[in-house]
Amino acid sequence: MRMGKIDRAKRRVLRQAVADNLETIRGLPPRGVRPNVRRSRLWMRRLSIVALPVMLAGSTFLLSKPVTEPMFVVQRGAPHKPLAAAAQPQPQTLTTYEKVDPAALPLNVHRVVIDAGHGGTDPGTALPTLAEKAVTLDIAMRLKKLLERGGFEVITTRTDDHLIPLRERAHIANVSSSDIFISIHVNSIVEHTSEHGVETYYLGPTRDAKLTKLAAEENRESGYSLADMRKLLDGIYMDARRDESQRLASAIQSQLYGGLRNADPGLQNWGVKRAPFLVLVATEMPAILAEVGCMSNDAEVEKMHQPEYRERIANALFDGIRTYATEKK
Amino acid sequence: MKEGSKKMADSEILHVGIDLGTSRSAISASNGERFVVDSFVGWPVDMVAKKVLKRSVMIGHEAVSNRTMLDLHRPLERGLLKEGSDKDVEAVKELLRHLLRLVGVDGNGNGRIPTSNVRAVVGVPAAALRTNKQYLRNTMKGIVDSLMIVSEPFAVAYGLDALLHTMIIDIGAGTTDFCVMKGRYPTEEDQRTLTSAGDSIDTHLLKLISERYPQANITIFMVREWKEKHSFVNKAPEKVVVTAPVNGVPTEFDITNEMKAACETLLGPTVETMLDLLSRVEPEFQERVRNNIILSGGGGLIRGLPEALQDALKQVGGGKVTYMADPVFVGSDGGLALAIDAPDTDWEKLSA
Repeated sequence: MRMGKIDRAKRRVLRQAVADNLETIRGLPPRGVRPNVRRSRLWMRRLSIVALPVMLAGSTFLLSKPVTEPMFVVQRGAPHKPLAAAAQPQPQTLTTYEKVDPAALPLNVHRVVIDAGHGGTDPGTALPTLAEKAVTLDIAMRLKKLLERGGFEVITTRTDDHLIPLRERAHIANVSSSDIFISIHVNSIVEHTSEHGVETYYLGPTRDAKLTKLAAEENRESGYSLADMRKLLDGIYMDARRDESQRLASAIQSQLYGGLRNADPGLQNWGVKRAPFLVLVATEMPAILAEVGCMSNDAEVEKMHQPEYRERIANALFDGIRTYATEKK
Repeated sequence: MKEGSKKMADSEILHVGIDLGTSRSAISASNGERFVVDSFVGWPVDMVAKKVLKRSVMIGHEAVSNRTMLDLHRPLERGLLKEGSDKDVEAVKELLRHLLRLVGVDGNGNGRIPTSNVRAVVGVPAAALRTNKQYLRNTMKGIVDSLMIVSEPFAVAYGLDALLHTMIIDIGAGTTDFCVMKGRYPTEEDQRTLTSAGDSIDTHLLKLISERYPQANITIFMVREWKEKHSFVNKAPEKVVVTAPVNGVPTEFDITNEMKAACETLLGPTVETMLDLLSRVEPEFQERVRNNIILSGGGGLIRGLPEALQDALKQVGGGKVTYMADPVFVGSDGGLALAIDAPDTDWEKLSA
């Protein structure tokens, strides 16, 4: 009796194994990944056709009402709790909304996720007097203030010295339905300590061994298993976000270099590059990772110690985001 | 290592199962032959080395033993072919040809089984991408006639007839693969791959020993050998004392604590992944899966590991972890079983 069951089971799995191989031969994406994505996108498109008029009518109604609560779920304090709450189905009433700042309305980019690289037990580049995690957090907080002043809504993946796995960072960005994702890091190139520069990455494959190594470094503590990686990497080449991410990266790199070289004439422009940083793979909106300096260079470390220089970096990032947002109008 | 032998007619199809491993590769063939070799390939570095070795290429243990005279390649990384290096592609082809030669296949015929008669099933890590599989297919063109690539833990499960309510944990050198068998070909959700595996233990152990005994002159090859002899988790079965040169003088070192610490780096991720996969099994079947956990691969030889995993299962109601006493051929035997069972019509020829 048992043998019969095993034999049937064997026949079934064998057929499925053969089918899986045929799909590999024909270059089809893995079952259960791509078709679902397509289905969900189709479903979203259908939903948007129905929902858009309703939303427009709703917003007109809302703007005409004197309401007091925030219209969007804006993160305060620990980032994951309100977002986790936002992901839960919540009974919503009109009193949970607030009139949005009209200054933000003309922009297609409303909500920005700022991701301060590293944190907690993962210091990033750690020098005796300075850790990358502290620099990225400080710049992130400065950028947050600038963006909020500029009419953007801001979501931060961390607001204190805690390790947030890359997986959770991406989750925070995705559930908040943000428009763009900015990850802030500081380079360290120990082989060339005399040089320093800025560079901005967007998602894409690279054949550059150095970039692969850098991505591997930044992808530590990701919280992703290789099984997850399969899903993530299968999406790299086909992702339509890439063009937008490239435009965002160009805008930010241009402002970053332009805004910092006056304060630092030796600064080099290392340009816009592609690399498979996990945090860029897993986010669902245009996303970039900016290496805003180089902690392997002594002169730059000295500058990083200065609040004015970190403010300058935040300003340059803000200008880049604003340029991209304005172009999107 | 050679297992039993059985002759087959030249005109017959030879089915083979291959476990292409980061550290060791095994082959099981339908003619009864089974071999395992170290996944190393080396070419003489210069004419002098070639003259001394009297060979143009060396494979397996022989290559490791003569590594000082060789351009040594370990062409698999985390169970997958290293991409971007022609030399590594050539190395994996040499390795595959060597494995096939051992079971009686010869590309030129020469009175042996011709390549055109060989159908192979190759196991790869559960998380291998389609692109990785395509790459392997392209590499194997001209080496076998037809090829089927399956996830390694699935091959193990198939070979053991453990297709229903079973979890396979296959701890290799490059990856630790998990697969829950639900009576169907495993999907992504049923499988996990971790890079905490044999190699990561070696690296960690080398670091720990070097930190404690900076004067000791040790290599990763020595560390690997020590691990294979003495690995354990939890309580030490005996003191681990090894010999390594200090300024050329053989010296004994007690590495019991370092061995324990390095091996236990595997424990946390393995337990976490095992419990996570279990929690995703439908509730009514969880107990059956918990009592059907099979540990395979070289990592299963770590003493105390099955017991440690069983201890961890107590927090979810207990369970049973069975260890394969002879893990070397479990994957390749499973591949062979698949190859034999697959109907002729299901084989796709590899174009030359």
